[in-house]
Amino acid sequence: MAGSIPLIIEKYEPRDKGNLIQILQDVQRTEGYIPREAVEKISSHLWISKSEVFGVASFYSQFKFNPPGRHSIKICLGTACHVQGGDFLLNALKSVIDISPNETTEDGRFDLDRVACLGCCALAPVVMIDETIYSNMSVIKLKETLNQYE
Amino acid sequence: MTGNQKINNTATIDGQTVKVREGITILEAARKADIYIPTLCHLENLDSYGGCRLCVVTVKHMKGFPTACTTPLEPGMEVMTRTPELQKLRKEILEFTLSEHPFTCLVCKDKMECADFMHSTRKVSTITGCNFCTSNGDCELQDLVETLELTDIKFPISYRGIPPVKDNPFYDLDYNLCILCGRCVRICSEERNSHVLAFVERGNTTIVGTAFNESQKDAGCEFCGACVDVCPTGSISEKMGKWRGIPDRSVETSCVICPVACKMNINTSGGKIVNVGPAPGKRTNPPQLCLRGKFLPVELNHHPSRITTPLIKRDNKWVEISWKEAIAYTAGNLEKYRGTQFGIIASAQDTIEDNYTLQKFARKVMRSNNVDLHSSYAHKELLKHIHQFYSLHPPAGFLEIEKADTLLIIGSDASTSHPLLENRIRKAYNGGRRVIYAGAFPTRTSTFTTNRVLYTPGEETSFLFVLLSALVKKYGSGIPGTVSSQFKKPALQKAQEFAGISGSELEKALSILVKSRNLMIIAGDDLLRHSSPLDIFHCLVNIHFVKSRNHSCNILFPGYEGSLYGGVLSGVHPDYLPGFYSITDDRNIRKWNKNWQTRLSTTRGLSCNEMVNQIQEDGITSLLVMGDIPPHPDLANLKFLVQCNMFRTDLSEFADILLPVTDFLENEGHVLSLDGKLKKVNRAISGQGKSKSIPRVITSLAAVMQESGFSSKPADIFREIRSFIEIPYSNGKNVKSGFQPIRLKPQKKNAAYPIQVMLRHNHFKYRGNRLTDLVPGLHSITDEGVIGLSPSLMRQLKVKEGDQVRICTETGESLSISRPMPELADHSACLFSNGTDSIKLCGGIFPGTSMISARIEKA
Repeated sequence: MAGSIPLIIEKYEPRDKGNLIQILQDVQRTEGYIPREAVEKISSHLWISKSEVFGVASFYSQFKFNPPGRHSIKICLGTACHVQGGDFLLNALKSVIDISPNETTEDGRFDLDRVACLGCCALAPVVMIDETIYSNMSVIKLKETLNQYE
Repeated sequence: MTGNQKINNTATIDGQTVKVREGITILEAARKADIYIPTLCHLENLDSYGGCRLCVVTVKHMKGFPTACTTPLEPGMEVMTRTPELQKLRKEILEFTLSEHPFTCLVCKDKMECADFMHSTRKVSTITGCNFCTSNGDCELQDLVETLELTDIKFPISYRGIPPVKDNPFYDLDYNLCILCGRCVRICSEERNSHVLAFVERGNTTIVGTAFNESQKDAGCEFCGACVDVCPTGSISEKMGKWRGIPDRSVETSCVICPVACKMNINTSGGKIVNVGPAPGKRTNPPQLCLRGKFLPVELNHHPSRITTPLIKRDNKWVEISWKEAIAYTAGNLEKYRGTQFGIIASAQDTIEDNYTLQKFARKVMRSNNVDLHSSYAHKELLKHIHQFYSLHPPAGFLEIEKADTLLIIGSDASTSHPLLENRIRKAYNGGRRVIYAGAFPTRTSTFTTNRVLYTPGEETSFLFVLLSALVKKYGSGIPGTVSSQFKKPALQKAQEFAGISGSELEKALSILVKSRNLMIIAGDDLLRHSSPLDIFHCLVNIHFVKSRNHSCNILFPGYEGSLYGGVLSGVHPDYLPGFYSITDDRNIRKWNKNWQTRLSTTRGLSCNEMVNQIQEDGITSLLVMGDIPPHPDLANLKFLVQCNMFRTDLSEFADILLPVTDFLENEGHVLSLDGKLKKVNRAISGQGKSKSIPRVITSLAAVMQESGFSSKPADIFREIRSFIEIPYSNGKNVKSGFQPIRLKPQKKNAAYPIQVMLRHNHFKYRGNRLTDLVPGLHSITDEGVIGLSPSLMRQLKVKEGDQVRICTETGESLSISRPMPELADHSACLFSNGTDSIKLCGGIFPGTSMISARIEKA
């Protein structure tokens, strides 16, 4: 996979800073995240520093800096889920699989994101793992659910 | 524009009438009229940012509250800067700013008394109070709280808990104090073009940082310290001197470490240096500084191992003695070694006055012409040629660099050798100028260039020949036929083949050079320390000659280490008296005999390397070394060695007496910058301990040796020099100019030593002292004892990064640690010397050339 980064970057004009976000999006699409190596390559291709590339990339929440896990957990912290204890679920994940938002577990099993609303506020708190939505979650239910994923 | 508008080309600020100039902002106009508008993010010399919002003003007929720093002043504007409404707004803005900065002490009602009695200190924890901040007393937030009379902050204390970064060698970062004014980010990118600092993340998690939180060094930090100077809070602070308090005195002087000779402010408190930085009350240091100028003087001046009393070696132990004894002992011994058996090795990082005194002592008192500078050019006449060239075509000032439409940088990695010259190059590049880099391999400088031409290492002459022939082809009409016949096609092809250059990059570079109207050539020392430097020099002069017939053309020769040129101009050269008067000419000897009331020796002097290599019974028997030189084993055979230095070094093993001398912060005098300006060096603090300046040491030695004509006052010495020679250049009346013939020859190849090893100069030196020994933090920044190998060479030798390799040359061998350098051309290597390997590899204490042929094998 890593071999595709130079190919993506080469498509764009060298030294043309205007393409930065496009390149980042392309890398994110193919790799699933922005690896360190990509930041270095983009920096030398566009002649802007690594810090600046990272500064732009870290501004937008669409860009991730960790490789995606095999399964992605999205915890809703929209108003309803927040009130119903979405925070507890977040803390539970920290203690059970040692993961914070925007991180990936060390074994690469899960990655975690916090989202604002999944559109089913009546079922709060809601957790989405891969494409499945789990409603009326509790810490215990969440722990059990995680076991279904390898 | 009608007449009526012309008359009304004014506006009012707080009722005061001010003139409107094109492009002036309200803030600038107000500052000019002495009207205070508070700011936090604004910085002179940088583009307006409008981040802190403290400079809000009201303008009649304008909606809202525009920021003064970004709003241009227009005729007829009525600006108010201090209405109660504005003050209230500012207070609220400041409250927001402070909500994420420790503020307990700022709004404490006891703060006035606390300064004296510290009775409230314990009530406030370290992280929320001012008393434990290094910027206490020099903080713009404190000033603003006073000015805006802020007494209460409604927000709860919000401490961000970011771990402070203390792992870089010269400054500490504590982003808990950061107010995100963006000054450091802007100075790093706009002024220094280093682009190391950037805002990362977003919203309330924003910090100033680097990619993936990597270290400053990995992000490409050059440690220029500009961010430290501009920080309005204590979040970026120098490691050294940050607890020495608020400066009570500031002295402007010039840096002697490299020939850019930057203006610098030395801030002191109670006779100790606090920092080198902006003058009190200012946040910027307009000429900017580099790592060597900003951080090293402070480290060196108060270095714990600095010697401040004369030391004499008795029974192999160093014993402190008084100056009177030291002078008597030294003079008594020197008396025995008068004549050509004595030599002085001086430093280009001393003032013209110091060096003039040293060479006068050697020539007049010791009757020896053996005087030379550390790392002077191996080719003895080269500087005379440069002197003659400069006499005809004085070097352009630094500001001209940005004005030139095309820059050609050859053989120079200015980012390490002359960072402030590099700063100008980067500005020219950003200003849309054509910048061509030519060298054996890409360096940091080459990332700020529009075109890059890489030639075969050692083939500089061939490369210049190709440039020259392109220019002759275009502008050659009128040049004698014999000259243009040199540039026939076969010769050109041969040159291109030697230099290993062809293709579109070369064509582009050549066409830019041909088209340029105002060309500036920067010819670095990697070029001039070539094995045949005169050919190189002639090529450059020819390029200048051809180009300047139609357009403007300038050449700058930025040498290494202080002012080599100034040193030789003041007479520290085996063949030249002050002012480049050759000692082989009887008229010159007569002139200087009269000047100095003496009889000078007419025997030609020896260079540094010659002196050390000729240490024997009937050769050199005694030396006086200014600073430090690599410890050549033959130095043990000297009968008498005087070392004048600030530190005990490896050389001191062989020395008989050590005389402590002052450094440039404690000295007065002049240095010559590379753009040919005399720069004044001023005394910022008095000499540490019993250290004495060079003229004082020499004067007392001369007095004991019954010689007169020496002065210990820099002003007197300077007057004396001025009365004898023209500084910096002669009028160029007797200098020949014109096209010089060039011999084109391939470099000699030696089958036994097939690899071209480029020697990188160690720029971290002061008077020859290796600063890495003295400032441990430098180890993480600079390489020593490392050899960079091209990828093909790594494969061929079957070595990995970190393996030891043996480098063998005709004169000896040494060991080095290997490191891959992908940017190098095939079968070439780059040696970062450890200071002593040049003795073995080049057969002298200083390498004569910037490249050696060697054989490399796995150790």
